[in-house]
Amino acid sequence: MKVRPFTSRGYVISIIVGLVVWAVVAAVAVGVGGRLWAWGSAVQVRNVLALRLEWVMTASVVGSGLALAGLAFQALLRNPLAEPYILGVSGGAGLAFILGSLWVSIAWSPVFGFLGALATVAIVYAISQRRGRLEPYTLLLTGVIINAFYAAAIMLVTALAKPEQRGDIALWMMGNIGAFGPQWTLVVVVGALAVGVAALFAMLAKGFNLVAVGEDTAGALGVDVGRLRIVTFVAASLVTGASVALAGPIGFVGLICPHLLRMVLGPDHRRLVPAALFFGATFLVLADLAACLWEGATNRALPVGVLTAMCGGPFFIYLLRTRWRRSAQLQ
Amino acid sequence: MAALGPTPVAAAVPPAGGPALSARDLVFAYGRARPVLNGLSLQAGRARLLGILGPNGSGKTTLLRILVGLLRPAAGEVRLASVRLADYPREALARRVAYVPQETHAALGFTVLETVLMGRSPHTGALGFEASGDWLAVREALRMTDTEALAERGLDELSGGERQRVILARALAQAPELVLLDEPTAFLDIKHQHTIYGLLRRLVRERGMTVVCVSHDLNLAAAYADELVLLDGGRAARAGRPEEVLRPEVLAPVYGVPVEVRTDEATGRPYVLPRPPA
Amino acid sequence: MRTRARSWAAAAILAALAALAPGCGDGAPSAPPAGGDGRPLRILSLTPNVTEILFAMGLGDKVVARSTYCSYPPEVQALPAVGDTLQLNLQEVIRLEPTVAFLITRRDEVPRRLQGLGVRAVPLQSDRMGQMVQSIRTIGRETGREAAADALIQRIGADLDAVARRLQGLPRARVLFAFPMTVGSSRIMVAGRGTFVDELLSVAGAENAYPETADWPTVGPQQVVALAPEVVIINATGDDAPPDRIQVIRRAWDGLPAVPAVASGRVHVLTESYLTIPGPRVGLAARRLAETIHPDMPPEGPARTEGGP
Repeated sequence: MKVRPFTSRGYVISIIVGLVVWAVVAAVAVGVGGRLWAWGSAVQVRNVLALRLEWVMTASVVGSGLALAGLAFQALLRNPLAEPYILGVSGGAGLAFILGSLWVSIAWSPVFGFLGALATVAIVYAISQRRGRLEPYTLLLTGVIINAFYAAAIMLVTALAKPEQRGDIALWMMGNIGAFGPQWTLVVVVGALAVGVAALFAMLAKGFNLVAVGEDTAGALGVDVGRLRIVTFVAASLVTGASVALAGPIGFVGLICPHLLRMVLGPDHRRLVPAALFFGATFLVLADLAACLWEGATNRALPVGVLTAMCGGPFFIYLLRTRWRRSAQLQ
Repeated sequence: MAALGPTPVAAAVPPAGGPALSARDLVFAYGRARPVLNGLSLQAGRARLLGILGPNGSGKTTLLRILVGLLRPAAGEVRLASVRLADYPREALARRVAYVPQETHAALGFTVLETVLMGRSPHTGALGFEASGDWLAVREALRMTDTEALAERGLDELSGGERQRVILARALAQAPELVLLDEPTAFLDIKHQHTIYGLLRRLVRERGMTVVCVSHDLNLAAAYADELVLLDGGRAARAGRPEEVLRPEVLAPVYGVPVEVRTDEATGRPYVLPRPPA
Repeated sequence: MRTRARSWAAAAILAALAALAPGCGDGAPSAPPAGGDGRPLRILSLTPNVTEILFAMGLGDKVVARSTYCSYPPEVQALPAVGDTLQLNLQEVIRLEPTVAFLITRRDEVPRRLQGLGVRAVPLQSDRMGQMVQSIRTIGRETGREAAADALIQRIGADLDAVARRLQGLPRARVLFAFPMTVGSSRIMVAGRGTFVDELLSVAGAENAYPETADWPTVGPQQVVALAPEVVIINATGDDAPPDRIQVIRRAWDGLPAVPAVASGRVHVLTESYLTIPGPRVGLAARRLAETIHPDMPPEGPARTEGGP
């Protein structure tokens, strides 16, 4: 694909395009998902509008957050398979969130989600780094082990929880946007976090490109690799923890979105970061719309996390088996 | 101790205040291990090609990583044009010094053009916007390294020699006054070895760049370097012009093998033949 | 022993009747009765026992939506289901425009959500007999049907009293009330002390064989042997109710001959779902349990004439 100069003019244009695409999709999702034409009274329309708007915004901020976190992890680990899930970050956020909501307070559980994600990154990082260098294999394997541990811990917590709490846990673990939680406040917080992290990553994007090529190369080209890594991991786990707290562990968004974007835009993170902000949002809004239409048609709720996993898994395998086979291999 | 006397060639280049790069009494150890560098000093004259030689484990790569600011020495200091290396902001340093490491990942499918554009990274702002000057520098770097035809190819599709030229092009795109290379010709056949070293010589001659190059190959270094530094046990065992360093009584104790040194009639440069006891 | 059994049953009934006394609110929001704002009453019931209570109070025609799990009385099946307190289809709620919602949940987000949609959400409790009675009173107040609520409470009290009367003079049996084990597990969920079912057992002339205060603890085979119940009642409802499933359940219990109830053939599988529903059918539940535990208890006829006004 032809590489074009990366200019401020092109940047502004692509941000506007991203914003417009997302806004149009979001508006369609509000309208179609809410069947706004089918209501009798103005009160009903207002209620449905408020509800759909909240869910679409929830899907947007969660999708943005997960796509950005996935992109950053893939860049820093030089591994297109890296993802908040694979590293155990989502599991850590999930476990801490569940513990917090069961035994401390529902209101504080998002904070527990942040802390769980951060603690997990710290643990995984401490185990996998040597002389300040990160071993991608060790890191991924550590993530796998930590994930297995968290899965067991969540099962233990489920077994110990009261019967009426088990349903909550099971449902939450599926990844759910239409939950009841303390929504708008958290949506605003996570949204601000996602935009902030996108801005931060946009400034680090040059560094992402260079680290992908080699840590010494990055250092010699003016990147403080150690600081870049810590700042990025903290930011990515914050946004992961926030997304998990808001909607449960929704899988594959952090894996699929960056891959689709790379197929279209190439590997340059200066272009991918703003794209991930808007495309992650658009992607999850569409997934949530699909879940919503399904519920409308069958009167059975379909957690959006189940939907993304059901569609994302096979799609990812397809990618792996075809054109992305080579680059998806471990370095 | 390792000070290099001015040679006729060096005198021909206008001296802009001392050597391009100097290191004094460097000490460095990884963790609590035995020091890799133990009081090493050296200088690289302006617009000269300095070869760094030494047996395995003599600290060549560590030295290079210190010279480019990737590692901080435990003691001693490095000066770039008489300013301490530690006083340069990272990006400011990257605008003056380029580094070609031994190993380059071809991750995520970057093309040659994108890879060389990365050399402009320290010159572009926080978000990395490119101006026309950046693309001019990249075009020029591609042209000099004869890699224009590869521009749209993926880095992972290239041969070893092509890839090394691309990495060199990235270093040139950086527009540095000093280039440090870590065994740029390892794994390359003799044709590509000479292509790379010929290019380095041209940079020194035509652009006035200073080049510091770690090499395992004594004869290659002897053929192209203006000066050599021979490392042994974390110190400079000898520094000077090739014929001053490449002497049997200097090399034999360092490498632990008797050698014979002859002179290439065509170039007047020395070359080394190992003569292990039969 | 006997006197204590009797006093347990009496205490339960007294608790129920005491709730008739006016003025002891159970924490439900105190507000003008629904319908006071001029809108016609439209009820959303999100819990099966509340649905039963509403229909028993003659409010069936005011219920516009139910939870997925509400199935009694049979006419509720015709009503639209909107999910449950875990997953509520809020767009469906908006469509059906209920004015008041009755629900039992520990999640305060659900009532908050419903309030946000202009639905008056009334949280209820029914973990114990007394709470159930309070809930009926609350429903009466919220719907302006206090008289119907009082009548229902009185009827429930009379039903329970009638069962207790027939058990007068009979010994108390040690009974374990359990749900069938789930597939692939040998552990079963049993009624702990302090649950609503525990209260029913008291009324039905039994002592709960599980000695501790606990919600619905799970126990393994060894613990069942140690508890040594004289009678075991297994409540197999829904998917567990078909005869072949009951066969499986019975066979599993036959493997525990060390349990007195198994040895004496007093393991009973009951398929009635109302046994664990704190609603208008608790009298029926108590009678069913009593007749199972005490097959020798006097027939209903004399008891009724005796207990008549």
